Amino acid sequence: MLGYVIRRILYTLPSLFCILVACFLLTRLSGDPVDLFLPIDASEEARQAFREQNGLDRPVVEQFFVFTERVMRGDFGNSLRFQEPAVDLLVERLPATLELALATLALSVIIGIPAGIASAYFRNSPLDFTVRGVTAFGQAVPTFYWGILSIIIFSVWLRWLPSTGSGTIWHLILPATTLASTMLALVTRVMRSTLLETIRQDYVRTARAKGLGEMAVLLHHAVRNALIPVVTIVALQFGVLMGGVIVTETVFAWPGVGRLAIQAIYARDYPVVQAVVFFFAVIFVLSNLAADLIHAVLDPRVRLR
Amino acid sequence: MKISRRTFNAALAGQALMAGILGRGSQAMALPAGTLTVAQGFDPVSLWPNFSTTQEQINVGSAIVESLFWVDPKTNKTEPVLAESFALEDPKTVKIVLRKGVKYTNGEAFNADAVVNTFKIFTDVKTTPAYGRYSAPIDRAEKVDDYTVKLYLKHPYPALHLILSQIYIVPPKYWAEAGGAEGFGKKPIGTGPYVLTEWIRDNRIVMDANPNYWGKVPEGIKKLVWRPVPDDTARTNGLLAGEYDIATNIPISAAAQIKAQKGLRVVSVPSYRIFTIGLSNLPEHPGPLHDKRVRQALNYAIDKQAILDSLLQGQGRLLSGQILRKEQIGFDPAVKDYPYDPAKAKALLAEAGFPNGLTITFKFPTGRYAQDREVAEAVAGMLAEVGVKAEMVSLEAGEFLRQLSARELAPMGFVGLAPADDPDPQWAQYRSDWRYSYLANPEIDKLIDAGAQEVDPVKRAEIYKKAAQIMHDEASVLFLYQAVDLYGVTDRVKDFLPRGDQRWTLYGMSMA
Repeated sequence: MLGYVIRRILYTLPSLFCILVACFLLTRLSGDPVDLFLPIDASEEARQAFREQNGLDRPVVEQFFVFTERVMRGDFGNSLRFQEPAVDLLVERLPATLELALATLALSVIIGIPAGIASAYFRNSPLDFTVRGVTAFGQAVPTFYWGILSIIIFSVWLRWLPSTGSGTIWHLILPATTLASTMLALVTRVMRSTLLETIRQDYVRTARAKGLGEMAVLLHHAVRNALIPVVTIVALQFGVLMGGVIVTETVFAWPGVGRLAIQAIYARDYPVVQAVVFFFAVIFVLSNLAADLIHAVLDPRVRLR
Repeated sequence: MKISRRTFNAALAGQALMAGILGRGSQAMALPAGTLTVAQGFDPVSLWPNFSTTQEQINVGSAIVESLFWVDPKTNKTEPVLAESFALEDPKTVKIVLRKGVKYTNGEAFNADAVVNTFKIFTDVKTTPAYGRYSAPIDRAEKVDDYTVKLYLKHPYPALHLILSQIYIVPPKYWAEAGGAEGFGKKPIGTGPYVLTEWIRDNRIVMDANPNYWGKVPEGIKKLVWRPVPDDTARTNGLLAGEYDIATNIPISAAAQIKAQKGLRVVSVPSYRIFTIGLSNLPEHPGPLHDKRVRQALNYAIDKQAILDSLLQGQGRLLSGQILRKEQIGFDPAVKDYPYDPAKAKALLAEAGFPNGLTITFKFPTGRYAQDREVAEAVAGMLAEVGVKAEMVSLEAGEFLRQLSARELAPMGFVGLAPADDPDPQWAQYRSDWRYSYLANPEIDKLIDAGAQEVDPVKRAEIYKKAAQIMHDEASVLFLYQAVDLYGVTDRVKDFLPRGDQRWTLYGMSMA
């Protein structure tokens, strides 16, 4: 098992390096931060001073080496916009994003798993059709549209919930449900389909044959086995969730990492873009790794391969 | 469903139950008395007003840190704030008399030392790069006595009031303690009507009234809350939901909905932003646009009124065939824009040697200005009618700015420029050696230089009028329109008067 874990961790290193190179080069393909940070009619002298202060006057190759060397030490440089370490800006906004991501995850699991079980158990019942309809709808509607729609309904019309911002549990409801719309649907559908498959397995029939109660058969034998792919999906989705965070945080003015990313990209704030992209990439790689490891723990057959 | 008394009562009970569960949420959203809540596009990077020229940031910071003067939007006169008066001793020496008995909220005294020190910071291009253009005419400031400062200029400068209302006076001791611009920008100390209470980045800035303010705190505004809401639609919806008193930069499409809601109004302000299409005649951009007749033809080919009416729903004003707005010194009422005349456009093109039309590259930004892409498409469509095929190149905002200032936005480029409110910064952008000028005309260059240093307003106006006539006749740009800034405001806010550069002050405002 330990060998497996180490191998999996080593596999992530090349991907991380490629991400590093990509996020350095991509940000430099278009736009010039000087135009975005100084007013358009700034003097040439001021522009030169800004370039020198931020090391933008040096050759790109040199900038890349400085950048890589710094990243090794966990330093992404100072934000051009804020003139303070990019990593600090990221860390400052991390709690808000984690709060949102965990709330989304919790919503998806707490609602999605029971809904999937019920839907599979009462297959082709009106309940099943409703769940399938709702989940298909949830997956099909784009996140930003859900966001705007829920603001109009719950904030503008009903005035039950604040439209944007963060601070109280009331502020969390709309962004979390918006972000959960796709993930909840996915969890429900995977739960339903894998359970349908397990219910037909021989060991489930055996359990029934030896006279176990219906609930015991379902929960202890069928659901337990059907949960393995669901757990993997949830772990994998945690990385995808980070992408959804960008849109949701912008619509709901949520003070998290996703919003920082968008602002930094528009402003060509290279150090912040690099820090955030790298952070998202690490989360993605780690959630993949976690999915593999969890799968290995839950399903001994994986470890043997 | 049939509505019976039973179902109706059940629905009522359900509604009450939901309201009970969520009651706290709804109460939190009612606008509290005495608190002015402002939603704008983004969070300031710094609360030091001179950190950048971004108005959203200056509006917030200037509630705490004050300037020497301000321009009253009602009268357009320069009124004293921390200064009492200023006077020219000779064309290059300005005597500024300061207000006495003013203290910063940390106890430091406001005096000539603070002003001289602030001028030093302001003219240091490394600390204050965004204001390089404003500080260029300043040589140095010297203390005469505790409440008198002399400002020496490098050359006579007609727009002096612009500089004096743009410089925000910081306390020298605290500035040093806070470690300069960065530390000060996070925790500013000023003489202003409000003090910083709380700042949670990207979430909210809260300010409370300064109990020892030397002047009068805006009536009925005891607390300020600034909320950054990046999405235009979300910001509008928050206003409609009763969460904000002021929402800035409302999309044109939402104006009608806001007007229709009781208790809300739309404040529409003619913007300083001037939209034109640059028609480069620079030597590095050879092509048909070097022919004056082609440039004139393009001006005749566009139905500008139709663009304004349909795409901008009438929210804007057409330019009068010149780059100055009618409120500015040097606006020439005799100059009128080219009328919409496609037949004349075709005739001019034929005369210039293009009877079968021509093909030209047209660059425009997408997502930088209101309706930018739509306007560009309409222009291209109208050009096609007179036989000019525009090859459209859409640019993301950041890349657009890079090309603009690298002189790559050629031969045709859609731009909206908003320099400071004075004819010199406006005209200087068309001087042939200006970084993003697409115009080479030695005659206009001479007039720009003359206007920049002419202190007599009548003579100055004449200089700019002459330049405007040349630029109109040459059709150096395709004149379009002046945009409008829209704000959604609650009825309880009084005397909210933003300027055309999105700057507004709390001075003179009040709340019922």
